[in-house]
Amino acid sequence: MAESKTGAVFVWMKSAGGITVTLSILIAIIAGIDSGPYIIVNTIVTGGMLALVAMGLALIFGVMNIPMFAHGEFFMIGSLAAYYIFTPLTEYLNTSPNSLLAAIAPLIAILGAMIVGAVAGLLCELLIFSQLRKRSSENWVMNSFLLTVGLSVVLINAHQLLFGTEFKGIVRYWGGRPLEIMGVFVSRDRILAFVLAMIVVGVFWLFMKYTNTGRAIRAVSQDQSGALMVGININGILLLTMALGCGLSAIAGAGLLFLYPSYPTVGLEPLYLAWFVVILVGLGNTAFALVGGFIVALIKALTVEYIGAGWDFVIPSLLITIVLVFKPSGLFGSEVRGVLDL
Amino acid sequence: MKTNDSNMETGLADRIMDRLCLTPAGVAGIILLLIIPFVPPFNQQYMIRWLVAAALIGANAIAFDFTIGYINIVNFGYYAFLGFGAYTSAILAVNLGLSPWIGMIIGALFSGALGFLTGLLTLRLRGIFAACMTWFLGLAMMGLITKMVWLTRGPLGLRCPQLFETSSNIPYYYLILTMLIVIYITTKWVTRSDMGLAFKAIGQNMEAARTSGINPVFYRIVNFTLSCTIAGLLGGFYAHYYGVLTPELLHTTKTVEVLAVAYIGGRGSLWGGAFIAFPFIITMELIRSSLSELPGLNLIIYGLMLMLVMIYYPGGFAEFFNTYLAKPKNRFLRYFLSGIKES
Repeated sequence: MAESKTGAVFVWMKSAGGITVTLSILIAIIAGIDSGPYIIVNTIVTGGMLALVAMGLALIFGVMNIPMFAHGEFFMIGSLAAYYIFTPLTEYLNTSPNSLLAAIAPLIAILGAMIVGAVAGLLCELLIFSQLRKRSSENWVMNSFLLTVGLSVVLINAHQLLFGTEFKGIVRYWGGRPLEIMGVFVSRDRILAFVLAMIVVGVFWLFMKYTNTGRAIRAVSQDQSGALMVGININGILLLTMALGCGLSAIAGAGLLFLYPSYPTVGLEPLYLAWFVVILVGLGNTAFALVGGFIVALIKALTVEYIGAGWDFVIPSLLITIVLVFKPSGLFGSEVRGVLDL
Repeated sequence: MKTNDSNMETGLADRIMDRLCLTPAGVAGIILLLIIPFVPPFNQQYMIRWLVAAALIGANAIAFDFTIGYINIVNFGYYAFLGFGAYTSAILAVNLGLSPWIGMIIGALFSGALGFLTGLLTLRLRGIFAACMTWFLGLAMMGLITKMVWLTRGPLGLRCPQLFETSSNIPYYYLILTMLIVIYITTKWVTRSDMGLAFKAIGQNMEAARTSGINPVFYRIVNFTLSCTIAGLLGGFYAHYYGVLTPELLHTTKTVEVLAVAYIGGRGSLWGGAFIAFPFIITMELIRSSLSELPGLNLIIYGLMLMLVMIYYPGGFAEFFNTYLAKPKNRFLRYFLSGIKES
């Protein structure tokens, strides 16, 4: 049994995905020795949050077949909601200190952001995508993609119109003295953001794996008509998926508020990076989006370190283009319907 | 005898119009556009600037629609190809002192070559990958142009010589209008030929097209290359009209603008986008300049219009025109609007 398991591991190591993962870990270690372990720490912290955004994107593509271009805007909505929840809370705390509230205030903000993001996702599905689905299903992937493009333009400019272009950011969530990890000082907020991301990923995984609703979502992603036949409420599942995906993105936006202040186009960078992840691992492949998040974060960190800031879109997008040319189904492949049929 | 002669005359005019892919209404529209810079509210210089911008967007919408409406590929990095042509032409003019006119042509050829290479790599995949890859290509090129300061002056902006030695916008207006008409006629000719049939077949049903012996990759690449060449040519015009280029030109939001115009005008019609660009862009500019305390409102209208058209009326203005306006009861009006004589 153990032998066959190690054998399977070896087989996997020889596949494209295995080679990439092994290489990435090796490169990360070499870079860590070469220029300091902070590269690894940076990779892990940004990779965690990136994975959240990418998982939402992959989920929405896998289940609903929508290539979401407006996903970064839900990141923006999340950060905006967190800002407007957290700032009054800190003001209240300044007048009447309360250590318990101070400890959970960031959590309240992030939870609130998640709810706002999920509701926004629900509204989008109800007002936009289900309307299109009712009217025409031909050419769905391309049409829904263009719809999300319009949605993205509307949301970015609505933010600008209603809340202005200035940076709406906070200095810290929890604050406190930075911790020392492998000789690098990492702020507590970053560590907690990473821990939070991993908890959310874990909860999400458990939800998808062990609850009936999660099973239903996976069933719809594998075969929609089959799912309909066994009595799954497709429309409900689609609504839920949209809310979940957008909620994940909003959590990432809220969790990184101390790094990325909220402004109209804050969502573009996470959007690009999340798309890199999704293309890298294969469209609609939710599980490996987690791995891909770390790989893309590593590529970005390495580019900034060795080539210079400002190249961090050029090099990853060229690499992703190469992946797309030689392995369009992604490094880890994907068995989700709709990847290659338009 | 005399009546016969006049019949021959109209027959010739009809045939010329048919060759040029224009209806009488189209000819009237072109004449209107030719005289509009002298009609009072439009004869101010800033109005002519808006008209030039509208014609540029209209011409872009034709080239964009040529890909999206026929082979069903979204060229999401359209402005990357346009910007590539623009920068090529500008750099040739600034560094080698080449005439902008020749630079425009070379820029177009360069963009076409880039489009050919991109098409070679992406167009064998399904549509969404091509959209993603052109998008990433646009991002990468924007980053490159920002970073290659020694050649492009990056975000500082590259100043380049203008086409005409005047401060008036009128020669530019006539130039872009000519380009618009030539681009329209060229693309329309291509779509009317056998090749156009193949394009439509690929766009509607890939498998059926493949089984009837059409090589989809070949036709897609031809279409994509032509569209990118036009983009490069218009990029050259952009560079030598506005006289300054920044990497922002390659940004995706610009592509979204063209996309919205092409869709509102009517996907797959070619003329729809070119027509709708004039009222649309001028309205948008009016909104932007009169409601300057509400920034971004015009872009919200863009996005909302795009979404509404896509959901509720996918045919856009062209379909509206063809269903409700093109076939009135009156014979003369019907001839005027649709170019069809017999009842």
